[in-house]
Amino acid sequence: MSSREIANQEEEARSFQPRYRLLYILVLASGFVIFLRLWYLQIVMGNELRVFSEKNLIKETKIPAPRGLILDREGRVLVDNLPGFGAAISPQYATDLKASATAISPILNIAPNSILSAVKESRFKNGPFRPVRVKDNLSLDEVYRLKLLRMDHPGLNINEVITRHYPLRENGAQLFGYVAEISKEQIAKFNNKFRGIFNFEQGDIIGKNGLEEVWERYLRGTDGMSIVEVDARGRRTDAETPRAFGIKPLDAVPGHNLILTIDQDIQQAAYKAMNRDDHIGPRVGGLVALKSNGEVLAWVSAPSYDPNSFSTGITSDVWGKLINDPYRPLRNRVIQDHFSPGSTFKPIVALAALQEKVITPTTVISAPGFIRFGRRIYHDHQKGGHGNVTVDQAIERSSNVFFYKMGIALGIDKIALYAKMIGLGAFTGINMSNEVPGLIPTREWKLKAVGEEWQPGENLSNAIGQGYVLTNALQMAMAYSTIGQEGLLYRPFVVKKIINQDNELIQEFQPHLIRDASQPNAEGAFISKETFRAVKKGMWRVANGERGTARWWKIPGVEMAGKTGTVQMRSYSADQIYDKCEVRPFNQRHHGWFIAFAPAEKPEITIAVLAEHACHGSTGGAPVARDVIQAYMEKYHPDWIKAAPKAIRAPDPAPTPEGDE
Amino acid sequence: MRTAIQVEERTFFRRVDWSYVIVILGLNLIGLINLYSATHGVNDVGTNRLFINQIVWLVGGWGIFFLLTFVNYELFGRAAYFLYLINLGALVAVMFIGHKALGAQRWIDLGFFNYQPSETMKLTLILVLAKYFSNKSIEDGLGAKDLIIPLLLLALPFALTVKQPDLGTAMLLFFIALSMIVFMRVKRSILIACLAMGLVAAPMVWNFGLKTYQKNRILTFFNPGRDPRGAGYNSIQSKIAVGSGKILGKGFRKGTQSQLEFLPERHTDFIYSVLSEEHGFIGSLLTLGMFMFLLVMGVRIASQARDKFGALIAVGILSYIFWHMFINIGMVIGILPIVGVPLPLLSYGGTGMLSIMMGLGIISSVAYRRYLF
Repeated sequence: MSSREIANQEEEARSFQPRYRLLYILVLASGFVIFLRLWYLQIVMGNELRVFSEKNLIKETKIPAPRGLILDREGRVLVDNLPGFGAAISPQYATDLKASATAISPILNIAPNSILSAVKESRFKNGPFRPVRVKDNLSLDEVYRLKLLRMDHPGLNINEVITRHYPLRENGAQLFGYVAEISKEQIAKFNNKFRGIFNFEQGDIIGKNGLEEVWERYLRGTDGMSIVEVDARGRRTDAETPRAFGIKPLDAVPGHNLILTIDQDIQQAAYKAMNRDDHIGPRVGGLVALKSNGEVLAWVSAPSYDPNSFSTGITSDVWGKLINDPYRPLRNRVIQDHFSPGSTFKPIVALAALQEKVITPTTVISAPGFIRFGRRIYHDHQKGGHGNVTVDQAIERSSNVFFYKMGIALGIDKIALYAKMIGLGAFTGINMSNEVPGLIPTREWKLKAVGEEWQPGENLSNAIGQGYVLTNALQMAMAYSTIGQEGLLYRPFVVKKIINQDNELIQEFQPHLIRDASQPNAEGAFISKETFRAVKKGMWRVANGERGTARWWKIPGVEMAGKTGTVQMRSYSADQIYDKCEVRPFNQRHHGWFIAFAPAEKPEITIAVLAEHACHGSTGGAPVARDVIQAYMEKYHPDWIKAAPKAIRAPDPAPTPEGDE
Repeated sequence: MRTAIQVEERTFFRRVDWSYVIVILGLNLIGLINLYSATHGVNDVGTNRLFINQIVWLVGGWGIFFLLTFVNYELFGRAAYFLYLINLGALVAVMFIGHKALGAQRWIDLGFFNYQPSETMKLTLILVLAKYFSNKSIEDGLGAKDLIIPLLLLALPFALTVKQPDLGTAMLLFFIALSMIVFMRVKRSILIACLAMGLVAAPMVWNFGLKTYQKNRILTFFNPGRDPRGAGYNSIQSKIAVGSGKILGKGFRKGTQSQLEFLPERHTDFIYSVLSEEHGFIGSLLTLGMFMFLLVMGVRIASQARDKFGALIAVGILSYIFWHMFINIGMVIGILPIVGVPLPLLSYGGTGMLSIMMGLGIISSVAYRRYLF
């Protein structure tokens, strides 16, 4: 550094001088601001704040926001909230936790150790201020007995709580879901998923299944906060909160309400129908009813459970029973389980055969009692067969041999092409968890998934909906609705609208047409209206024809069309095939399907019923579907029913199922 | 009878600014007494490990202080860019090998010590900025061209710190750099342009740049009752603690707010509320006065510096101490939002204590050399 530069530096350093004066002023001014504030807090407010700190402060209590309601399409309540009482312990005020736990244990019927460990864990994780919930939904007797204890056990609180209430109880439980306390693993996951929207912590109630789970984002409200002044032992005092704090309680903001496409009347009718009082009795299985635009009208899975038991904290023996029930009540059978469609797949094969011109609507084909293919004999469910039949008669009587021949002529890839066009073998697009996609096999699929070539014999079994073909009830309802509407495939949906507490619309969901199968797709494939009509004619005969497999189930004034199906649980030898299904153990009996739409000409409603182990579609599924369609028509078209001739309005006849495989 | 050596020694003794050293010692003493109270519960027997740690760091800090006093600070001028690069490298490294705590990745585990590069970055940034500005001859304030490099020097560590995420430290880096730039003076046209840009950008950042929870945090700053459970709750409890100390305080280790654990982070960010509760208006004011004294002496040292670089590092380090102190106390007494900024010399923490003593040591070095002319 040269001397000139140094001189320069010095000179410039000196030019800073006036700025230091400013620095002194800034430093002292900020000191003065702090001084003034200290004066205000410690001298002016000192006495008040001293009293406040000695009396020991404020206690914050979370006010859980009520979840939004779930309403049916007419605004009737399907899921709501009930007020109740809950017990909680504030660790910061509990002087003798062990004694308190021991004292409340017999009243609430909870082991003292589990109370102790819950409180200790929360104190470690959330600090001593957060009250720990011990039990919700106390009985009045429990409330009374706990109130007596409160004086001797500081820190014990009795709070008002909200309990989720499902007035339909078991009906639709798998659709609505249930709520329960968030698990430890879920806290991190949910906080990640809802970052910036909700903050979840231990003790929060969340939707765990069904709509409650899927629509958590909307159903969940924003929790509030009440602030009370308490004394050193955690009891409420009446002093006013000092002004210095600007602290205000926060009101809880309830979640949004969901308005569903479900019709409570049809839902009730569906539940009643599934628990029909006939020789089969309550069905095990799934039922779903769709309007033609994809709106779900009813959704039942049986056996079911009471979601109310989760709202109040499920006991371990109730939970154990649910988990160990061989018929798994928690499963949503409408979408969660794969089933072979059995004979309900035949109309789809018929579509393929007609569209591919394997047959015309008038082609007559011999359908005897069995067919030999390769080295095997393939049987019909009716020993004598059906004689010479056209396609509509084959559907009416559910001829196996007719469709074996179609399978041979078409091959699996052609069948798959048309099955996929009407929605099978893919996710339905309904916004629900645990949906299975179904499976429509192709030659390519088998080579990839199984590692073997497709066998010609498999064309026969898959053509009657056995073998690899898998579907769920919702997919079948969609497929049949598409047939009924001659090509219109709508995406099914359950939530119609989301509204807030002031009845303002938050979001509305419109029907979504996935495709019109009667129009050529990108590859030029389509199913013509004529083809649909020919198949619909057969399906009309199922319910109305002289030899229809569901001809016993009629609705006065309305004609329905459909198809029965019976799914073998395993293969039987030739002698066993015609044995009575009812003599077998329950879990080896056939499943019965019935899928129908009505009115046959221009359908408004499509319903799929799967009755597991009900032996026949005609007796297990068809009467259930008929009851629901009848309930729909009585509600929406009472004039049609009234106009019907009295003679048809007969009580249930005794059907003689001659087989409807 | 005086020998030459004795004269030298006397000069050496005179050169160190002892009143400055005494103020720092005084704040250390208050810090230790207060930390003892904050780290020892009513029923605790024996000495808390945190308290022992702090003493170890304090002793080490004084070692560094005197070492730096005798080192010519020009050395830092020459090493400034090198130190900056190393520190920047450590900030990058922390992203990969950093130690995660409280949801942020800020520390590098050196075995005996958890090193927090963003903390030393404050000092390193001061050094490079001082170096840059001291080489510039500016008469009528900084122009746009003069600001490019300083802003770049700030932007790199700022972005890395935001990423950690450690918004408190990032904000301090910004304040320190801003203080130095303003001290250098900026052309009026630039100042007006910045103001105008800020006014335009603020609503855009608010509407598009911030997430809902960040907005909520800012709104809670202005109204603690808005979020009485989170930041609002801490602020309320802290104000109760400070106010309830009244004039004389509740006495050593007798503060109910702190002893009953109503105060969060009472040994780090909320250490001043422990002090105010237990030692009242008198104690709070004494501590505040000593901080004022320290800052005023620092400004005096800066004004007597022999060159621009010395003056600028002193001003930078003073702004570092000032912003820490003002933001921390402001938050504790409820005039500023809750941000995780420790109080220099009083809060518990190793990197913080060593950085502060380092900074004070560099100021001391500037003071030591003021008589050389």
